[in-house]
Amino acid sequence: MDTSDKDKFELEKSNDNPINYHSSGGMSSDWRFNSTSIPNSSLGLVPTDNLMSVCRGDLVGAASCSSSSVIDSFGPAMWEHPTNSQNLVFCDINAQNIASSSNTVGIGKGFPFSSRNGIDRTLEMGWNPPNSMLKGGIFLPNAPGMLPQSLSQFPADSAFIERAARFSCFNGGDFGDMVNPFGVPESMGLFSRGGGMMQGPGEVFVGSGMKSVSGGQTQKNVMNAGEASKDVSMSVDHMATEGSPLKNDTKRESLARSRDESKKGAGGSGNDSDEAEFSGGSGQDEPSMLEGNCGELSAKSLGSKKRKRSGQDAELDQAKGTPQSAKGSPETQQKGDQKPASTTSKASGKQGKQGSQGSDQPKDDYIHVRARRGQATNSHSLAERVRREKISERMKFLQDLVPGCSKVTGKAVMLDEIINYVQSLQRQVEFLSMKLATVNPRLDFNIEGLLAKDILHSRAVPPSSLAFSSEMPMAYPALHQSQPGLIPTAFPGMESHSDILRRTINSQLTPMTAGFKEPAQLPNVWDDELHNVVQMSYGK
Amino acid sequence: MRAPRSVLKQQFLKKWMMGLQVFGSAKQSMSILERKKAIKLSADIALAATRDGRTCWSRAIIADASKDDGGKVLVQHLLSPESERLKKACTGLVMDNKRVRCKKILKRSCCIKRIRKGASKVALAKSISKRIVKRRTQVLKSLVPGGEFMDDISLIEETLDYMVSLRAQVDVMRRSLAKATEVVNGK
Repeated sequence: MDTSDKDKFELEKSNDNPINYHSSGGMSSDWRFNSTSIPNSSLGLVPTDNLMSVCRGDLVGAASCSSSSVIDSFGPAMWEHPTNSQNLVFCDINAQNIASSSNTVGIGKGFPFSSRNGIDRTLEMGWNPPNSMLKGGIFLPNAPGMLPQSLSQFPADSAFIERAARFSCFNGGDFGDMVNPFGVPESMGLFSRGGGMMQGPGEVFVGSGMKSVSGGQTQKNVMNAGEASKDVSMSVDHMATEGSPLKNDTKRESLARSRDESKKGAGGSGNDSDEAEFSGGSGQDEPSMLEGNCGELSAKSLGSKKRKRSGQDAELDQAKGTPQSAKGSPETQQKGDQKPASTTSKASGKQGKQGSQGSDQPKDDYIHVRARRGQATNSHSLAERVRREKISERMKFLQDLVPGCSKVTGKAVMLDEIINYVQSLQRQVEFLSMKLATVNPRLDFNIEGLLAKDILHSRAVPPSSLAFSSEMPMAYPALHQSQPGLIPTAFPGMESHSDILRRTINSQLTPMTAGFKEPAQLPNVWDDELHNVVQMSYGK
Repeated sequence: MRAPRSVLKQQFLKKWMMGLQVFGSAKQSMSILERKKAIKLSADIALAATRDGRTCWSRAIIADASKDDGGKVLVQHLLSPESERLKKACTGLVMDNKRVRCKKILKRSCCIKRIRKGASKVALAKSISKRIVKRRTQVLKSLVPGGEFMDDISLIEETLDYMVSLRAQVDVMRRSLAKATEVVNGK
């Protein structure tokens, strides 16, 4: 039926719209356009195919380049930006200010999206000025210290750890931002940039502190993580003004606080779903455990010290690493501390609506799961719940990765976004390879081009360094996008400096004139420098 | 300290260039489409090679590419400096996937199917959303290389990694395109 189909279509479209399409027309990127056209893949893949051809035609246009670069700019902006809704609530005002300033500054890439999606967008844009300069360099300070955040979620596998170290870069901004006011590792000092995120440092910090804390707890392998998170939790403790020494208590405090902030002591059951999103990068057991704690704590308005004290003792016992069924909740060795908290909560007061929930293991161990009160103890449902929580926590990562998904909750829409994004990336690869085939009839990218590309990948030099007398750094201001890393040491060995310089600069000029991926402010600086360089190179 | 993202891009670029050199002699005679396929293939294999077989999607790409001749040459060219084990792992991927699929069929047959009760709106909405999620998961599995053989959880992890790599690939390709156009225009 036509009408029913249309209704369904519109219904779903309207569902997607508030989430995706806040942006006014402007520079809607390709995959945004694509999303609009295929609000939900459940309508079938036929529309997808049609749109693919359409989008391909679209891609041919110049807008496609800009949009893909917009997407690119999105990535880091999204990565550095903590997209927790709670944080957003706290940081809107400053973020908007920052966003407006950044808009006026004219970060070309991120621009069109600044108008959309309200708070989280503005927050992203707020980060753009430093982001654009440090696009890849963000990872530089991130990598060493950022292990804690995301590593917790993945099994103790070295490959996973490496990958998670990469992923942690995405959360690293969040982590760094949150942690920074307390001056934790200086590697996060890079993120001391805006004051925007530091609105309510207590709440904000708590919100992420829980994240990072829980992140730190679950991975025994990563000592950094544990230490960093312990530091974080310690700071949280100080902030929390509860003064309980143990970090577990601190966690619970922070959890309770954050819970209170966000839910005003709502019932425990409501915590479940929230925690699934809220805990972000926490381990699998975190959500249930945390919500357990939070629920009861919020119900008790932070609880009495006595109860915590008794909890501490039990926690200590558990923390010894004995996964015995004390109080009937056997816990996995790897998730030492959170478990005790939950079990003690059960043990101490029987406040109970919650028990702890076991978390997943690396494949070798059993999965010890405890049923929550009021829920089925069927093994199937337990396993399902574990699986669901694993999935939801991994979706959190994807949320950070896929641009425009900060506000999206729920698997279906997230999956849709992910699908669209992956499709758009794949289509971009196709298009680019086609273009490369047409441009270069000989398929040989000569060494010169390769070297120039090395330059592109080399470190970004801020405009202040333009004052250098040597020629090489002169080329760098063109590379605002490049990341710190490889220094083109092979450079002098090759052709003449002037040739390569001229070519590099030209290569940067073409994009500049094409108008994509350059921030509007830099060309002003460039013009003078480029003139200088060109004169110098011609003068040689 | 090396930024991991730029390291990834550099690795990819190097491998891609190496792969393209394999085509060196035959280039003049290729049509545009063939060139495009060669470029894309070498880019994909280079991308998969940067992961060193740690991820499922990279292994799937390499396994698929090894099936036909052109890809095989590329794979050998790109991977021979690295472990032989990797190549074996990729070729053994198909067998693993079959095993996974059989396991899944077994599991499904043993699982008790719960009858959908309740015509309540909540249950109905839930079932609808489940269906939507399932359908989209299917789509995602078709998108991510080697995705059909993964369960949901690892699918999401693979998607994460794949997305990062894809983004790096797009970035490198775009920059090289800019460079190439500039070189061509400058001539």
